[in-house]
Amino acid sequence: MNKIIKNILIGFSAIRSSFTRVFLTSIGLTIGIFTVSIVTAAVSSVDREFAKSIQSIGNDKIYVGRMPWSFEFDWWNYRNRPEIKEESLDYINQYSEYVTQSSMKQNYWTKATYENKASWLQMNGVYPNYNDMMTGTKVVNGRFFSENEWKLQRRVAIIGGSVGEGFFDGEDPIGKKIRLGGVSFEVIGELEKTGSFTPTGSLDQVIIMPTTTFQRILTRWTWNEFVLQIDPNNREKAKEEVRMIMRVARKLKPDEEDNFAVNSADAFTKQFNQMKIAIAGMGLLVTSISLIVSGIGIMNVMFVSVRERTKEIGLRKAMGATNSDILTQFLSEAIAIAIIGGTMGILLIRTTLYFIGSAIANIDINGMGSAIDLQMDLLLTFYTFMVCVFLGLIAGMVPARTAAKLNPIDALRHE
Amino acid sequence: MTKSRREIIGIKSVSKIYNLGDTIVKALDNVSLSINENDYISIMGPSGSGKSTLMNIIGCLDVPTKGTYKFNNEKISDMNDNQLANIRNEKIGFVFQTFNLLPKLNSIQNVEVPLVYSSLGRAERSLKAKEALKIVGLEDRMSHKPNELSGGQRQRVAIARALVNEPSIILADEPTGNLDSKSGTEILNFFDSLHKAGNTLIIVTHEDSVAKRAKRRIEIFDGKITLDE
Repeated sequence: MNKIIKNILIGFSAIRSSFTRVFLTSIGLTIGIFTVSIVTAAVSSVDREFAKSIQSIGNDKIYVGRMPWSFEFDWWNYRNRPEIKEESLDYINQYSEYVTQSSMKQNYWTKATYENKASWLQMNGVYPNYNDMMTGTKVVNGRFFSENEWKLQRRVAIIGGSVGEGFFDGEDPIGKKIRLGGVSFEVIGELEKTGSFTPTGSLDQVIIMPTTTFQRILTRWTWNEFVLQIDPNNREKAKEEVRMIMRVARKLKPDEEDNFAVNSADAFTKQFNQMKIAIAGMGLLVTSISLIVSGIGIMNVMFVSVRERTKEIGLRKAMGATNSDILTQFLSEAIAIAIIGGTMGILLIRTTLYFIGSAIANIDINGMGSAIDLQMDLLLTFYTFMVCVFLGLIAGMVPARTAAKLNPIDALRHE
Repeated sequence: MTKSRREIIGIKSVSKIYNLGDTIVKALDNVSLSINENDYISIMGPSGSGKSTLMNIIGCLDVPTKGTYKFNNEKISDMNDNQLANIRNEKIGFVFQTFNLLPKLNSIQNVEVPLVYSSLGRAERSLKAKEALKIVGLEDRMSHKPNELSGGQRQRVAIARALVNEPSIILADEPTGNLDSKSGTEILNFFDSLHKAGNTLIIVTHEDSVAKRAKRRIEIFDGKITLDE
């Protein structure tokens, strides 16, 4: 063991004497590590954001709307579909075995104003029991509207987690009057900030109110959805059942296509995974090319090093170095080069992420700053380090074996 | 006194045959040689005579094709690479014509090279290297690099390196070949004193003046020993 350490030290000390060469070679790996890290950080942060969003869509929810959730959005095909009407929800509540709770959710974008501040926000009209159906967020300040307020079409609003910051400058929003579509509403509750996105926008940039008020004050022509609570284990059965009930409710003939869509988070996951695989695949390609190229660079430098020091190898062998002593010495040299390159890569990526992070924090579009949070943890750094050691080992193996197998007599005679 | 000396090297009917495709070269042809403790031997011969091959075999850098080679009664001819490396490390001190010091290392570090491949710790290595440098009279040149030393001083560092493991034999290959006559004489005087101190020395040379100092002369020609006196 002691002997191995001595050989490693000899290998490392060789780096000092040819530092320029080593430095230039290791830059290849620096770039390699940089790309790996960027790709990994991007994929993992997109992944994390997505997981958060999925959580707020809810595993235990299905959504009935006009259009399916898809990236291949065939809008022209769906635009003439009839609006989702509240009456259909009565059918679902009456006939479904799987749906345990349901709420209407109406969407409408309008201008919200408070004193001299204005912003376009998403209005949601919902039922009182929507309070129990929100996933990923909850009322943390004030309260939700009551059954009575719903019946009486009260102008009360629950604001999303980042609405208050914009309007009230840190003052308590509860009791404040804001104008939505020109009409004054009282803020009665505030949601927890999530930093998540759903297919219909950020959860933090919404204003929730009773459907009754929504329809009276804002509009009857809106993008409606049903939010249905189910047992996630029965999701597929529930979706099929709801589809059938909807067909009956809409009096569709057997040969007619659905003119509505039953959505759930898993459909979204599938779409997303395809995208993620595409990003990761491209990254992997670029990464492996740069790693291979830098590996070849290290191997080349190691062959030069072995050639240059043939006489030294002969001498060390004459002095009693075994083949494995020489092997260890040259492998350590290769690994040291790889580690130098890798360390530079890690430093580069850390600096870059630091600046990206602070740049994004400054441009806060719809609360996106908190959503895109590129993360590089210690574990990832450790993996990177191990990749370098492994690459050094692979790239150094052939040159080091060549060195170890040199015949001491020939090596000593080498000039 | 001669009879009581222990045999260190016993070479019996050793041949080294190189097969170069069509031609077969007998670098050593049925050579037998016995070397005892505190022998002071010179080996002479023209180039191509086989003296280098004999040197390499004695130095455990090479193994014979035929015959047996015993070192301290251990059979070298059957050993593998690692065992040979071990023998070279512990029992043999090499001195080369071109010194073969590592240019980036200072005197102490150069002398320490054989100790790196033994099991000694750092402090012990440094101590032993300093002692060896004192023996060759270079205590004031310990942290000098080879390019800061004269030829004679470099060869003395190389001798200190050969001595540092207290080897059974010191094997010198043309040790004065790259030195001016003054430093050459200095080195040879030093070899004489090493002999007096009880060391076993083998010097390969082609200079008569060097060979004369040795107590026993061996001449080799065409792979055979032609003189041993």
